[in-house]
Parts: sequence; structure tokens; C-alpha cells
Amino acid sequence: MRFLDKDFEEILSSELISIMGGLTVGIILAVFTDKILLIPGMLILLPGFLEMRGNISGSFASRLSSGLFLGVIRPDKFKTRIIQGNLIASSLLVLFLSFVLGSMAFLFSFFVLHVFIFRIILLPIVAGIIANAIEIPLTLFFTLYFFRKGHDPNNIMGPFVTSTGDVTSIISLLIAMVII
Amino acid sequence: MSFIKKHPAHRHLKKLQKLKRKHYHPLIHAIHKKHNISKKTLFYVKEYGPHSNVPRTIVKESIRILLLASLISSLGGLALENIKTFFVTIIPMLILLPVLNDMIGDYGTIISARFSTLLHEGKIKNKWWREIEVRKLFFQIITVSLITAVVSSAIALIISGFSLYMVDVMVIFKVLLVVIIDVLVLVSILFIIAIFAGFYFYRKQEDPNNFLIPITTSVADFGNMIVMAVLVLLIF
Repeated sequence: MRFLDKDFEEILSSELISIMGGLTVGIILAVFTDKILLIPGMLILLPGFLEMRGNISGSFASRLSSGLFLGVIRPDKFKTRIIQGNLIASSLLVLFLSFVLGSMAFLFSFFVLHVFIFRIILLPIVAGIIANAIEIPLTLFFTLYFFRKGHDPNNIMGPFVTSTGDVTSIISLLIAMVII
Repeated sequence: MSFIKKHPAHRHLKKLQKLKRKHYHPLIHAIHKKHNISKKTLFYVKEYGPHSNVPRTIVKESIRILLLASLISSLGGLALENIKTFFVTIIPMLILLPVLNDMIGDYGTIISARFSTLLHEGKIKNKWWREIEVRKLFFQIITVSLITAVVSSAIALIISGFSLYMVDVMVIFKVLLVVIIDVLVLVSILFIIAIFAGFYFYRKQEDPNNFLIPITTSVADFGNMIVMAVLVLLIF
């Protein structure tokens, strides 16, 4: 049985690129530990927040790719009903999920840690809005761009949105902390 | 949708767009047979046609699975929240936390997608442990996960060396031990889940792709933080 084949090379190379996004987030966490992680409930909020960003952008890119391949979305037209509908849906999902995650972290802090920290609810909402404003146009632009250049966005956008999404999310959280 | 106007079957496609979104209609099958348009294209035309509210459709269909995935990931954070004050002092593990979450989730996706394809291709029989393709997939994922675990640990240790954190031989050994055990345990668990759940959904005549990826990525996130918290407590 020969398992060091083309599949192995593809998985290894894409994973080596993918870990760079995670390492960037890890370094930011280590540098700003006192600002980010020492807030009560933050380790409950953070994994869900990062997961949410990757999932929303990932399914957005995937829906766009399907539409492009099926010919119902044109790669040179941004202002269409389907694209605008997708943008509105992504924003609504971010607002709702951020609120739920923030509330969960707040309840944990209040009932388990006995700390009343209301800003943990506001924090993901503000950070979610900032991250969405950066990540969704970026995903839209690059999905259409890769398609125009003859690539299959399905193969590229997955690792792209998880890596950029993680970095954008953590920077947005830092900005939100400054604002709040 | 300019595609519809130009298509020879435009009259049928217009009819399809006017259907209520939730209803399955024999017209889909008829157009698919007569004009050889794939069912996926017809599904898209019906799903996002002028009679459907696009944002509402997307929000309604995806909110439950997104909520579940985010909540499961956050529940894993509970384990680490309890040992946070200790955990944040181990800088290399702090750097490695998002890396491992991403990495193990990716392996869950790869195992699920490839095992589903093997099932669809009919390459897996009941005695799956005897199949060369399953063994090959297992060894590929285990090898890649060990290589990436060592590479990411090395980078995290080098970066930690630039901070005030003291990196000695013992720390290097402990970090590598935690990361390697974490990766081996979780990849094996994901593999077992993908095989048993894959067979279950396949026998129910469902597409395993639709179920395995959300299941394995959520287990990967949740499991990683629990296993990591336990290993950090035991080893550090």
C-alpha cells in the first residue's frame, strides 16, 4: 500500500498553509493576553466566534461558487438580487449568532464566576459587525476573481476564508475592545 | 437570472421559478429529463427564484446548524475557562490553541468528504477494516497530522522563545507530548465517528456528506479543547 501519493501531497501542502492563519491568531492572543483572554468568559466566547466567522464566510463562498458554475450569478456583476440577498443574510446571521454567543459567555461569567460583565454581550456584536464589513466583501471579491481567472473557488475559498476569517475576527475583537 | 432568458427551456424555467419554494414539483423531474439540465441547477433556480426571499431562505436554512456549531465550540471553551489562569501562562500552548482547533477541524472535513466518496463509489464493504482505501486514508491523515503538529509546535516554541517565557528541553518535550497525543486521540475518534456515522447515513439512503462534516468539525472543536485541558493539567 502506497499512501505517500498526490492526495497526501495536496493535504499536506494545504494544511501547512492553513496553520499559518491559526499561528497568527495564536500570536495575537499571546501578545494581547491581558486584554483578550483575562476577560471572564472570553475562552467560551472566542472558539464559537472564530467558528461562526469561518462557517458564515465559507457557506457564503460556497453558495456563490454554486451560482457561478450554474450560470445564475455572473462573475462581473455585483449588484444582483442573489448577491445582495446573501450580503443581508450574512449580516443578520452574524448579529444574531454574536448576540447568542455573548449572552452565553455573560451567563457563564455571572452564574459560575460570579462576575457581572455586561460588555461581554456587546463585544462580539461590535466585533462581528467589524469583521463582517471586512470579510464579506473580501470573500465576494476573491470568489468572483478566482472564478474569472479560471480556478474552482470551491478548492481555494475554504482554507482562504478560515485563515483570513480567524485573523479578521481576532483583530475585530481588539478594535471592539477599544471602542467599548 | 440571465441564464434563464437565454436557455432554450426558458418557458419551463420561468414556470419553475413561480412555484412555491417549499414544494417539490414533478416539473423539476420533467425539465431534468427533457432538457438534460442538472437537478442542482433546477434546485438553485427554484430556491432563489423571484418568489423566494433570498436572505430569509438563507437565514432560515442555516441558522440552526450555525448556532449548533458555534455553541458546541463554545462549550469546549468551558473546560479551558476553568483552568484559564494556568493555561495563559503556557505561551506555546496558547499560540497552539487556534492552530489545533483549525487543524483538527480540517482533518474532520477531509476524513468525512473522502469516506463519503468511497461509500458512494461502492469501494467500502461491510468489513471496512480490511479495505486498502480506508487504511490508506487513515495512514495519510495520521502522517499529515503528525507532521503539521510537529511543525506548528516548533514554530510556536520559537515564537515563545522571543517572549519572556522560558523554553527549555522539558518544555519542548511537554509541548510536543501534549500536541501529539491530542492529535492522535482526536484523529482516531474522528475516524471512528466518520466510519460508523457514514455507514449509518448511507444505509438510510442519505448523502453522508450532508451530515458527516458538521458532526466531525463540531466534535473536533469540542474534543480538542477538552482533551487539551486534560493533557495540560496532567503533563504541565
